[in-house]
Amino acid sequence: MKEKDLKPVEEEVAVNENVVVSDSDDESLQSPVVSDDDFESFSEGDDSSRNSDSEFESGSGSEESEFSEDEDGENPNNEGGLIDGVDSDGDQSGSDDSREVVDESDSSEDEVGPRNTIGDVPLEWYKDEEHIGYDVAGKKIKKKERLDKLDSFLARTDDANSWRKIIDDIEDEEVELTKEETKLIRRMLKGKAPHADFDPHAPYVDWFAWDGAKHPLSNAPEPKRRFIPSKWEAKKVVKYIRAIRKGLIKFDKPKEEPRFYNLWGDEHDKSGHGLSYIPAPKPKLPGHDESYNPSLEYIPTQEEISAYQLMFEEDQPKFIPKRFASLRSVPAYEKSVRESFDRCLDLYLCPRARKKRVSVAQINIDPESLKPKLPSRKDLKPYPTTCYLEYKGHKGPVASICTDPSGQHIASGSHDGTVRIWEVETGRCIKIWELGEPVQHVAWNPLPELPILAVSMGQDVLVLNTGLEKEENKKIEDLLRVETLSVPDESGCAGSSVRWSQYDKYEGIRIKHFKTVSSVEWHRKGDYFSSVMPADILLFFGSYFSVLIHLLSKKITQRLPYKLHGLPVCSTFHPTRSIFFVATKKNVRVYDLLKKKSMKKLEAGVREISSISIHPGGDNVIVGSKDGKLCWFDMDLSSKPYKILNSHPKDITNVAFHRSYPLFASSSDDCTAYVFHGMVYSDLNQNPLIVPLEILHGHTSVNGRGRCVGLQVPPEAAMVVHCRSRFCNQALLPLDLDVSCGSLRVFSRRWEVVDSAFAQDEFVRFFSENAKLSGEALIGSRS
Amino acid sequence: MDIDGYVEDTSRKVQVRFVTKLKPPFKAPTTSIALPSNLTRMGLSAVVNNLLESGNDDWKHEPFDFLIDGEFVRMSLEDFLLAKGISAEKTLEIEYIRAVAPRKEEDPSLHDDWVSAVDGSSRFILTGCYDGLGRVWEAAGVCTHVLEGHNDAITSVGIVKSIDNEDTNLVVATGSKDKTVKLWKLYAEPHAENLKIGAYRTLRGHTASVQSVAAQPNAIMVCSGSWDCRINLWQTKSSEEDTVSTKKRKKGSKEEETQSEGEAVSTLVGHTQCVSSVVWPENGTIYSASWDHSIRRWDVETGKDTLNMFCGKVINCIDVGGESSALIAGGGSDPILRIWDPRKPGTLAPSFQFSSHTSWITACKWHGRSWFHLLSSSYDGKVMLWDLRTAWPLAILDSHEDKVLCADWWNGDSVVSGGADSKLKISSEICIP
Repeated sequence: MKEKDLKPVEEEVAVNENVVVSDSDDESLQSPVVSDDDFESFSEGDDSSRNSDSEFESGSGSEESEFSEDEDGENPNNEGGLIDGVDSDGDQSGSDDSREVVDESDSSEDEVGPRNTIGDVPLEWYKDEEHIGYDVAGKKIKKKERLDKLDSFLARTDDANSWRKIIDDIEDEEVELTKEETKLIRRMLKGKAPHADFDPHAPYVDWFAWDGAKHPLSNAPEPKRRFIPSKWEAKKVVKYIRAIRKGLIKFDKPKEEPRFYNLWGDEHDKSGHGLSYIPAPKPKLPGHDESYNPSLEYIPTQEEISAYQLMFEEDQPKFIPKRFASLRSVPAYEKSVRESFDRCLDLYLCPRARKKRVSVAQINIDPESLKPKLPSRKDLKPYPTTCYLEYKGHKGPVASICTDPSGQHIASGSHDGTVRIWEVETGRCIKIWELGEPVQHVAWNPLPELPILAVSMGQDVLVLNTGLEKEENKKIEDLLRVETLSVPDESGCAGSSVRWSQYDKYEGIRIKHFKTVSSVEWHRKGDYFSSVMPADILLFFGSYFSVLIHLLSKKITQRLPYKLHGLPVCSTFHPTRSIFFVATKKNVRVYDLLKKKSMKKLEAGVREISSISIHPGGDNVIVGSKDGKLCWFDMDLSSKPYKILNSHPKDITNVAFHRSYPLFASSSDDCTAYVFHGMVYSDLNQNPLIVPLEILHGHTSVNGRGRCVGLQVPPEAAMVVHCRSRFCNQALLPLDLDVSCGSLRVFSRRWEVVDSAFAQDEFVRFFSENAKLSGEALIGSRS
Repeated sequence: MDIDGYVEDTSRKVQVRFVTKLKPPFKAPTTSIALPSNLTRMGLSAVVNNLLESGNDDWKHEPFDFLIDGEFVRMSLEDFLLAKGISAEKTLEIEYIRAVAPRKEEDPSLHDDWVSAVDGSSRFILTGCYDGLGRVWEAAGVCTHVLEGHNDAITSVGIVKSIDNEDTNLVVATGSKDKTVKLWKLYAEPHAENLKIGAYRTLRGHTASVQSVAAQPNAIMVCSGSWDCRINLWQTKSSEEDTVSTKKRKKGSKEEETQSEGEAVSTLVGHTQCVSSVVWPENGTIYSASWDHSIRRWDVETGKDTLNMFCGKVINCIDVGGESSALIAGGGSDPILRIWDPRKPGTLAPSFQFSSHTSWITACKWHGRSWFHLLSSSYDGKVMLWDLRTAWPLAILDSHEDKVLCADWWNGDSVVSGGADSKLKISSEICIP
């Protein structure tokens, strides 16, 4: 009956509850202390949290007083409530009794067992049943009727102790916690021991009496295994050894690179910090002579001992061996304190050098070791070092010099319009030709019995009789006579381009070209000579006519039967074979005159070739360029330079090989001449050896901006320094110089207004070997 | 006398006795005196002059040179004693000699061109000149003969001893750049001046300039070195006998040489470059120097070289003399005068080196009588007198304004030198003991 009545009320309550919820949160939250099954799970969790909240809220205030109040009015209310709200059952009263028992006794064993005996099974099993379990007698325990929401809410609001009441689902009853129980719970929530009087940090009392025990704990004898090596350990070790040997176990773990680095740190490398250990020098070990009874040969004689006395103290031997009959009679060593003191000094004062292992990767390699191994300059003598003679007389820059085949004379051509012949030995000027035009190039005929000179001057090439050969003079005069009839001789294709005629002013031949001739060179047999006209761009056939070959005996001229690519600069004949070299600005072309074909093209790779010289052996060529580079070509090797010497800071004006010594030289606008050792081996497998030897200074230098170094010359004067070098001929002769010396240098300056006061300073200098080295050494060849 | 030196001197004193081999006017008392040890040569010279002056009132001051144990004093006495380790306790014997230095400079004898060669081995001075003329000088500025005939510069002159054993008759050989050697006969005539003489004999055969001539001491032959690397020997006698002897002695030299007039008796082949200097000190031996860095000694009879010394330098001039006429003095294309002793076995190193010159050496000559004295001339314009006993030059004659090309002793007490200033200079009154 009651249940039926209650149901509609319950629904109403639910409706009201919703309304209430809208009115006030507190009420709705507090209300579901008792809920029906539908809301059970929800309300349970919510409820407990609320309870605890409110509980703590109140607890934070005056806990004691609240509980005391509760205690005071609780029991009567509760009892009344129970009596009022719930039908009084025997069960209910029973529970009250049991709780009183609980209150009386602390021991849980004394407590009356639970009424429900289902054990620890899920309560869901009984969810739909009428009963909640069975009592001890096996009778079903009926479920109690729950208060509906409204009633429970009212009951809660009426009852001040309602927050202490919890529902025991298993027993299906409402339990009110006592004050002690809440305290217990509160302590547990705080993580403390449940009982207030329990001390977790009580002093430890050891129960075992350690002192005074006479006997060991165990009387068992030591087992045998403690005395023998373990077989299993040995097996394990062997296993590890094998694994190590096979490489399965690795000890050196790969180093972990630090993934991050200190971007803002100041020190990048900490390796160089602190003093590194350098081992102390080892003391000398004692030898036989330090023995107390050394062999007789160690003992110095009386003379030796007296000789020691005469020596300086540093030179005296530190220890003089003595002989004693027995070890017993050896006296104390009188110098031991002194020596140990010295040793200490050695240990901490002696500067110790750390030996460094040199590796290529390190930067601090000794730079000396990188230099090529070159022979000593002393072994390469003779070569010229010192200027002893000057050939004075020219009033303009000396443009070219040449020595006669014997080495007795030098011819020099100058921009003052003169050609002079000098006696090498004394520096005497033998002959002067006043030609009137700046002389570009001079060349002696290579035949000793034919002392004639080829001179290029403006557009003319002159062949002059030097008159040095008095006896053969008639023959030479005949040779140098040009019949006027032969002038229109059109042999060869170049007949129109040059004109042979007798030179009026001096005894000789004049060959008029159509352009300025820059150089003349003789063939080795002294009959042919070549002339080069570089400035021929405008002529469309210029490339054919810029290099001409003249035959002196027949007075005819031929052109080179090949087209030249590029401007020819100079030409020269091979010293032994019929090969002709023409240097253009970019490269050197080699022609075979017999087969009439081009043999080779030597690529210098320099800016502008200025001069060329052929080694007397004929297989090596040096080429000087206007960017100061000197290229050495080995004709057997390649058309590229074997070596490039980058020596001069300014244009190279001339290069020359010595005719008999393994020397070559280059002269430059920087007023120096460099002398090199250039050894060519007959063994074809051996490359030529090139060693820089000497820088020859001496020509007073004047720079192009008009400032004069060394001489006081008006600053507005434009000056050009010309330097030419050429070795004396040694072929027949001796110029010893070459001999000892070897190189001639001609130098001079030019200025627009020739001042007579300075005329004396134009000179030719002569270098010869000397004991004193005047120049500085070149450091190394740069290739 | 340097009185101040005595007064202020607080340094050590040395007991000294002066000795000399000089004749009485130069003889000082040999008593020992105490001298301050810091005296140099000048001080010693002053002391000796004072000593001599005290004995002889009209004494003229005279420079002296001093020898201690055969070495010249070239520093203070104290330094010398220390350097030589001589004890200063005992009395020091110092030998003094008259200083070897010219006391008189004669007037220069002017030439028309550079003086390339000079010879003073007779009582005349013989010079060769670049104008092709040889000249004979009796004294400074007195030219008696002019040798005319070469058509190029004369490079070398040499006196061939008088053939006829008459003092008035002198035979002279000249070598020239015209490749010939010419022989001249001089008849000394009193008061002759610029007497022109032609060669009595022209020797042809060289194919290049003749650089040097020298005559055999017995005047039978003349040798010449040339740029053609050869040394030719020529007879000085007249041509009839000459041709005969030539055929006898012909030694496989070239055809044209033997056929040409005044041909060579013999040719010494071996040098590879210009033979710059030849010397003929004994009848059977010729010394030659060449630009090929070698000095050779030739046996005239066999025509072979008995000594070939490699010197490492170009040699321009040599002379043989000194101790037993065996030392070779040579100078070349460096400023060092070297003296070799070929008797020393196993070494080619020079036994003496004198390096006071600053340029090439053009001439070196031993003194005729002294073993120790020699002179050298150089392109630096100086002539230096040397004594083997000291490394410093005894005297430096700086009279030329240009290169000195040649120099020689004359009359035993003078130095004659010619150079590129076209002057022949005579420095006389040099006292060589």
